[in-house]
Amino acid sequence: MTFEIPKTAYSGKIREISLGKGDKAVAVGGETSYPFYLFEGEMPNKPRIAMEVWDCPPEDWAEAALEPFKGVTDDPVAWAKKCVDDYGAEIIALELISIDPNGLDRGVDEAAGVIKKVADAVDVPLILWGTSNHDKDTEVLRAVSELCQGKNLIIVPVEEGDHKRIGAAALAYHHTVISSTPIDINLAKQLNILLGNLGVPDDLLVMDPTVSGIGYGIEYCYSVMERMRMAGLTQQDEKLQFPIICNVSKEVWKTKEVHLPDDELNMGDAKKRGILMEAMSAMVLALAGADVLIMRHPEAIKLIREMIAELTAS
Amino acid sequence: MILIAESINVMSKTLGPAMKERDPKPIQEMAKTQVEAGADYLDINIGPARRQGDEMMEWVVNTVQEVTDLPLSLDTTNPVAMEAGLKVCRSKALINSISLQPDRLEAELPLVSKYNADMIGLLWGIDGMPRDANERCMHTVDIVYRANEAGIPNENIWIDPIASPVSVEINQVKACPEFMSMLGDIAPGCKSTVGLSNISNGAPAHLRGHLNRTYMIMLMRYGLYSAIVDVFDTELVSIAKGQMPEIIDLVYRVMDGERPDLSSLSKKEVEYVKTVRVLTGDSLYSDSWLEI
Repeated sequence: MTFEIPKTAYSGKIREISLGKGDKAVAVGGETSYPFYLFEGEMPNKPRIAMEVWDCPPEDWAEAALEPFKGVTDDPVAWAKKCVDDYGAEIIALELISIDPNGLDRGVDEAAGVIKKVADAVDVPLILWGTSNHDKDTEVLRAVSELCQGKNLIIVPVEEGDHKRIGAAALAYHHTVISSTPIDINLAKQLNILLGNLGVPDDLLVMDPTVSGIGYGIEYCYSVMERMRMAGLTQQDEKLQFPIICNVSKEVWKTKEVHLPDDELNMGDAKKRGILMEAMSAMVLALAGADVLIMRHPEAIKLIREMIAELTAS
Repeated sequence: MILIAESINVMSKTLGPAMKERDPKPIQEMAKTQVEAGADYLDINIGPARRQGDEMMEWVVNTVQEVTDLPLSLDTTNPVAMEAGLKVCRSKALINSISLQPDRLEAELPLVSKYNADMIGLLWGIDGMPRDANERCMHTVDIVYRANEAGIPNENIWIDPIASPVSVEINQVKACPEFMSMLGDIAPGCKSTVGLSNISNGAPAHLRGHLNRTYMIMLMRYGLYSAIVDVFDTELVSIAKGQMPEIIDLVYRVMDGERPDLSSLSKKEVEYVKTVRVLTGDSLYSDSWLEI
């Protein structure tokens, strides 16, 4: 009798979703097996990396993270173009930091104007990441949905508290939405059901499980994402068969550890430390099932691209 | 099945103040309506009752006994209050509950023998919540051993495996039926109970009954002796009294893996099928589980 390697019995498939439009549209998802289990199924699209751009100059970034973007951090358009032209970004994730009512509280028209300029300047898919303030996100994302009609933007966070208002605008102007829930599989499923009830088509939906970085509870994020994939792939749970996006760089680069100077607490070179924390966090999440990783440092991105290439090499 | 009615509780917005102000009316009303609804026991939960808990418990027990002869289940973490209640109980009381916490064991096991009461053996370990069915078995052995040592026979012990919310951790939901299937072998003669409403904690209020009723049937299959319940759920009471055998049979069949054609079922049957699938972990819980 020959030995047969046991195989997972898959009964479902992650939906393949197209982000953006035109030549630079990016397909994500489509897996028929657990992440990188190429011996059991297919992973037609490798995990994609979206590069993080802020809509206002960052004030608290570590030196290591600022260095690659010297001269462009006060101009989101130049910043986004640099990511695409110099660092080969396939997707841009524009963080709408300026609209935070507890921060700069930039007005709707001004914020939407900046977003429109970025959307016009780059042809790769554009993710707009709001501030998790239901009212402000609703105002800005609704305005920009109309202003950028036809561009298939990717709009996030769409949460239970604002899903009707933001979801309806995205639906009306045909943008992709990302359902965002606080790291809980039941809530994730519930919000996807609600968005489905609202009429958001399955090919315009991505999930944000809310993640953290290494040292800040990433194990729990891993478990929740793993459960999402188990439900989607082995339990035919249609409401969890959506690609997953992880906004990892913003979490990693705000930790205390990346801000400590060289050799503080015997933690070695600050630049290397930050890059490795970002890369390792992103890798963990890729292994858990991330289809899109939002990342910041070009060297961390390079490491992840190499790892993904090796893991998916035939 | 024995139904322990849960609603005389210090957490209630009306009964809590009534207990503190010694106003018998709302408490007696609640007692009477629960009796009419089909309760077999009335639970009296006065909470931690740190200050003058003994006076409060004695007063509430007497107040309730003025309007009913049903046996009472006394629920407080204050052993002095517990004893004050036991002293005045006219029927065999149920102590709710004794866990493996050393101070609870030492303070309350002697009361079970002294007042010839029954006790709920809550499978809460020294490290808190048991992680799975096996730890529940371990805790059962420990608690029964300690109780036997104190002269309490198995027949007086009602084991509570601790139900936890379906929206929190499905493996814990699956662990209780699994444990119940082993209880008879581990602790012959022991009875069982469960704080049923906890299964639906966090679910939308108008849908909680679906989870409570279905989970009760799932546990009944393995010999659940009693449950602490919302006795105003009339459908739940009917099930417990054996008046809905078709539904019980349907739940059993779905537990066994049968996938009935939903289009051939009534709305109520479909809801039971969907709820069993959620509680067995075949389908992931979400607040809209009945709609998909």
